Amino acid sequence: MTASIAASIRERVQLIETMPAIPAVFLPLMKLLSNSGEDVKLDEVVRLVSYDGTIAGQCLRVAGSPLFGLPKAPESIKGAVLTLGLRRVETILLTCCLGQAFPAKKWVLDPVVFWRHSLGCAMVCRKFTERLSNADAERAYMAGLLHDIGFMVNCLVFSTEFAAAMERACQDEIPLGEAEHATMGFTHCETGQALAEKWKLADDIIEVIAYHHAIEHSQKAQPLVALVHLSDLLCRMRGLGYGYYERHMVDLIADPAWAILLKEHRELAGVDLVRFTFELDEAVGEIHALVATVFGLAGQSACPQ
Amino acid sequence: MTIIAQPAAPALASAKSLGAVDPVYRQIRDLVYKVSGIYKSEEKLYLLADGCGRRMKQLGARTARDYWDQLTAQPSRDGELRQLLNEITIGETCLFRSQPQLDALRKVILPEIVAEKTKQITKRLRIWSAGCSTGEESYTLAMNMLEESERLLKGWTVEILATDLNDRSIETAKAGIYGEYAVRNTADYYKRKYFSMVDEKKLQIRPEVKKLVTFSRLNLQDDSKMLFMKGLDLVFCCNVLIYFDGISKAKVINHFFSNLNFGGYFFLGTSESLMNLNDQFHLVHFPGTIAYWKPSLKSGKL
Repeated sequence: MTASIAASIRERVQLIETMPAIPAVFLPLMKLLSNSGEDVKLDEVVRLVSYDGTIAGQCLRVAGSPLFGLPKAPESIKGAVLTLGLRRVETILLTCCLGQAFPAKKWVLDPVVFWRHSLGCAMVCRKFTERLSNADAERAYMAGLLHDIGFMVNCLVFSTEFAAAMERACQDEIPLGEAEHATMGFTHCETGQALAEKWKLADDIIEVIAYHHAIEHSQKAQPLVALVHLSDLLCRMRGLGYGYYERHMVDLIADPAWAILLKEHRELAGVDLVRFTFELDEAVGEIHALVATVFGLAGQSACPQ
Repeated sequence: MTIIAQPAAPALASAKSLGAVDPVYRQIRDLVYKVSGIYKSEEKLYLLADGCGRRMKQLGARTARDYWDQLTAQPSRDGELRQLLNEITIGETCLFRSQPQLDALRKVILPEIVAEKTKQITKRLRIWSAGCSTGEESYTLAMNMLEESERLLKGWTVEILATDLNDRSIETAKAGIYGEYAVRNTADYYKRKYFSMVDEKKLQIRPEVKKLVTFSRLNLQDDSKMLFMKGLDLVFCCNVLIYFDGISKAKVINHFFSNLNFGGYFFLGTSESLMNLNDQFHLVHFPGTIAYWKPSLKSGKL
């Protein structure tokens, strides 16, 4: 990427903050989430959320969905925190905030498809970490949810260029990132990184956004980046991709990301990847329902016919 | 132990409205997975419950818990598990059963194999449908290969070997006559192009499709015969291995691995897995389906 492209990305990313739809609680919440677990105070989160009734309501609906396994939906944010735990409620709140921050207008990439992929990836990241010891499942969820945020940047401020990339990807049935690189000269990884830096997200999340297709560049958070990389691939192979056929074979265990994660978490060797895949399929319907709830979107096709 | 021939495919009357699923069925699901590698997802749990229901009726078991006891306690355990597996795989056979497998085959695998073999003098593709039952899978593969015969496979010889233990199944397969239930997933395009009408409710596979497929009887446990099945690019073996015990299964899978060319692929049924029975195959994902890959020599991943 040349210096002039980098400057152009930064310049256009500036435009995003002037958009009116970002909920007031979003950035303070992101800041809270960037702190380590113990530092986050329950009261602070509840106070923040009370500013925005829509988000609080959505959060409770999501918390009550079967994906979180509660017998019935909690009635208050505090109640949700008591049953699900603070960290998990934070990630649900983040999901809802993002739904509002980027309203679905005329996107090049179908927002329904985008959110299904992001939520799917978030869930797979969490499911993976639940099978590993010493792994932060909620951090992994957040990383999965945000990893492709650059696509939203592209939809919002590079829509003409990105439309050409999308068309190429659909036509040649190649990964969207590859098509971006071929047609635009940069990818969602760079535009996402610019937004993440502007928002002052935590370093590990920035690395996930910037390097989930080039893990070797990650310096501070390689296992997390590797986890998101693998979850992203798995989602794309199981009906939670970008709405078109990707003509390729994925060998997760031979992927360098698997070795990186395995080095950190030996238990990964014991994960039954086939069963894990079948279980992911079970959650697909629920993810579709969640996207409809949180983002209030009805399905449409991703590739312009 | 011998293979129980796959039953033909009668219409399945299912009680879809199961309501809240008795948690015992999840235990049974896990047991079935552990023993056979077949996984019934949450939304297919009602099929498992249906199958259990039919067995319970025959056995006079009153509750799912009673049935669980029969499935786990000796001496009934092994026999009952096999009966249950029979029940839950009934009706799974039809033409065009798994579109994601066919997409993977035509969009990803064939171009790769064609590219890999491009320098060979004889351009030959060998596919084995192992446990072909009444021929639905074999003919589906044949039709898809014919579709590629003017494109990717122009100038290629395609051989589809289809074997089963059951003579009667093979006779039915050779006749190639299918009713409405078997062609429920078959697009009109294929029906018009590759079938002829027998009567109002039956269609027959045309000779040019049949020509691609050779049916014969084979017991997958017959080591000497298994050794002869060489030079394969693809092996399909759907819902057959579930009837083998662990040791026999591992042996058969080892045969499949040696039978395949380097760079060849092994497909199981859509909800089936090899679990940890073979560490030579690589588990690989394609959109909507998984397969097992024998790494090519140049991949350096052996």
